[in-house]
Amino acid sequence: MKKRIVITGLGTLNSIANNVPDFASALREGVCGIGAIDLFDTAAFRSQTGGQIKNFIARDYIPRNFSIKRMSRADMLSFAATLEALSDAKLYPMPNKLKEEVGVVIGGGAGGLLEAENFYGDLLKKNGKNAKFSKLSALFCASSADRIASSFGLAGPKSTFMTACSGGATALGYARDMILDGHASIMLAGGVEPMCRITYAAFNALKSVDPETCRPFDKNRAGLSLGEAAAIMVLEELDAALSRGAKIYGEVLGYGITCDSYHMTAPDEQASGAVRSMQAALKDSGLSIQDIDYINAHGTATPVNDAMETKAIKKVFGKRAYSIPVSSTKSMHAHTLGAAGALEGIVSVLALQHGFIPPTINYQESDPQCDLDYVTSGSRKANLRTVLSNSFAFGGNNTTVIFGKYSERGAVNG
Amino acid sequence: MDRNQRIDNARRVVVTGIGMVTPLGIGKEEFGRRLFSGETAIAEIKSFDTSSFPSHLGAEVTNFNPRDFISVKNMRRMDNISLMTAASARMALEDAGIQITPENRDRVGIILGTAFGATDVTAQFAGTLLTQGPASVNPILVPNIVMNAPAGHTSIELGFRGVNTTVTHFAVSAETAIAYAAAEIRRGTADFILAGGVDILSKFYYESLTKFHALSPQNGGTEACRPFDKNRNGMIAGEGCGIIFLENMESAMARGRKPYCEIKGTGMGSSPTTPTGWPENTNGVKRTFSRALKKADCAINDIQAIFAAANGGRILDAMEAEAYAEIFTGLEKPLITALKGATGESFSGGGIMACALALSMEKNILPPVVRLTNPFRPLAFVAGEKKEIEINNAVLAGISFGGTYAYLIFGK
Repeated sequence: MKKRIVITGLGTLNSIANNVPDFASALREGVCGIGAIDLFDTAAFRSQTGGQIKNFIARDYIPRNFSIKRMSRADMLSFAATLEALSDAKLYPMPNKLKEEVGVVIGGGAGGLLEAENFYGDLLKKNGKNAKFSKLSALFCASSADRIASSFGLAGPKSTFMTACSGGATALGYARDMILDGHASIMLAGGVEPMCRITYAAFNALKSVDPETCRPFDKNRAGLSLGEAAAIMVLEELDAALSRGAKIYGEVLGYGITCDSYHMTAPDEQASGAVRSMQAALKDSGLSIQDIDYINAHGTATPVNDAMETKAIKKVFGKRAYSIPVSSTKSMHAHTLGAAGALEGIVSVLALQHGFIPPTINYQESDPQCDLDYVTSGSRKANLRTVLSNSFAFGGNNTTVIFGKYSERGAVNG
Repeated sequence: MDRNQRIDNARRVVVTGIGMVTPLGIGKEEFGRRLFSGETAIAEIKSFDTSSFPSHLGAEVTNFNPRDFISVKNMRRMDNISLMTAASARMALEDAGIQITPENRDRVGIILGTAFGATDVTAQFAGTLLTQGPASVNPILVPNIVMNAPAGHTSIELGFRGVNTTVTHFAVSAETAIAYAAAEIRRGTADFILAGGVDILSKFYYESLTKFHALSPQNGGTEACRPFDKNRNGMIAGEGCGIIFLENMESAMARGRKPYCEIKGTGMGSSPTTPTGWPENTNGVKRTFSRALKKADCAINDIQAIFAAANGGRILDAMEAEAYAEIFTGLEKPLITALKGATGESFSGGGIMACALALSMEKNILPPVVRLTNPFRPLAFVAGEKKEIEINNAVLAGISFGGTYAYLIFGK
């Protein structure tokens, strides 16, 4: 029998909450984290808003016995989320005998670009005289996993995925495989994305940002809102979790990865990649379309994505698409790119655990192209068995992950 | 063939194609000829001015004509790193004898490693943004900034739509990508996966390596890459792409293809370091090596060759050699080769190394460690010139600063 991989710890910081319990409340209440940004000057940009993490002071989250020297904002955020997840899973402090078997995989994004921008500005301005190259030591997004593994003394597999907006979801799938294949018994898996000028400039240059606040699935949607987040899960094998008496949040039932092979920044309007991604995840999970109770959409609020994703859901689920609630929590926490798949994984798991469907907020006017149940009037109570979460990325990279509520006999057999 | 044998073959992952754009050559013929004859591609850098740096050498890709491999329509949108990737992928597909068709395209994928991505394009975009402001940036550059761009462009150029992802974990990016691809083939997620790594030389990247004191010359020595040599004094930066084509044994047999080799098992690990530093001991290498052997169900004395990670760096080479000396204490020593004296260090060079390893196993020849004249440890290095030897099992070593390891065991 196939091993079952369960989630036993969660940690997050994002624009609507700086820990998991607050995140669950904020999702239920439909809080919007999108507003003014003060990490850098936005005056010259097309838009001025985003989902910035509020009141983040690293030492409030990272105890003094861990060095934060040369950590980027991304490193610190992911470290803080990891510490929350480990504590939640009762794995902190970590027993020495476990360290050999614990690995970490991160969906990366801008990494240390925010800090590198300051450096590069100096380098270009003053002929390089005052530019400190040491600021580059955390430039690349693999730095976060390195800092986590080194700080906790982990000896298991370590990796970083960078597929723009689907890396966080892929990290969760990869972590499951690492445990299934016997490379690790526990994986810390998730994603981190810091806000920075380069990302902000890139999305503004493509005119994919809504100058106001994003409105997923709304007729007048005009683009996404950029956000930042760290989101980390603890994954382990069910029997191991049970034998150490861990609290079980839910189960990773399966995932699928596909590619559009269509265009670098525009999704395939025929939705083939998205359709195949959901179908691959269903197949991997051994589920039928009847088994999915809620879809946490990619739902960026760009005109093309939301219409395409709606079409894809209808192609996969047929008539049943109309009776499955679909919401985009990006309306609350914004699009967190490399972290998005992991953050929305946590949304999915909280929805399963607390029995509610988080809403799509900011929704005003219906669009004939987007005619599913988008949960637009507040969160909804629901006893969910499964959640399907989509992440679609630039480059045509699609990842879908399916989560199940933990039940001894399996999410849909309970 | 009985049923159990068929199931077994469906779970065996084999390499049936290779493709590369490297400083040593474009494509397996030129690459193999220069590799086995002990040539090096290291020379004065021509693509940018190095006069302000202490180092001037690099291993650059030359004579690469993307038009030979890539459609004019897609070429316009692709940057250097994506061109190298798509060209290598096309060569690997052709070498494997596979055409992408509407019937197979959803079962073909790519898992690519890149340590640093398109540092040239990113530096250009950031330069405009930081000196002229957001209104002046060029949106055309945006798709190429993200590290998954090379794999994305390649899928568009070649038309395959299956699993597609990009690993970026410094010097083990390619090894990790190949290990993941092998697991996906074994799981049956895809029928065919292109796996490997790509990185490019850019001025910004070269300058950064210089400032981190990673490059030769160091400590008053002369500038050269000498893996495992007493007089090594740093690495020489390189670039390039190497991609291998993976499928399961049953599929290769059904298509009548003779594999170069099999990926028998993989091991992954970490050990604590300072940021971007090297681990203090050999535990990480030893642990990961033994995990890979166990996964491959391979006995330690069945290993004939190791393709080492060594790049001429003082700490890396010493740690790696020490680890093998400890692992093989009292045992027959496998032959050890290291390619980075020939190809330069491109960080995701594990893709190029995997191609070289595949050629070695096909031809039963090990390439030499270029410029190794004075080994600092008495291990069985392939120094001076190539060595002809029957190779049943070979190890590909991935070791990165920051304390990450990926070991791959290849078999006949």
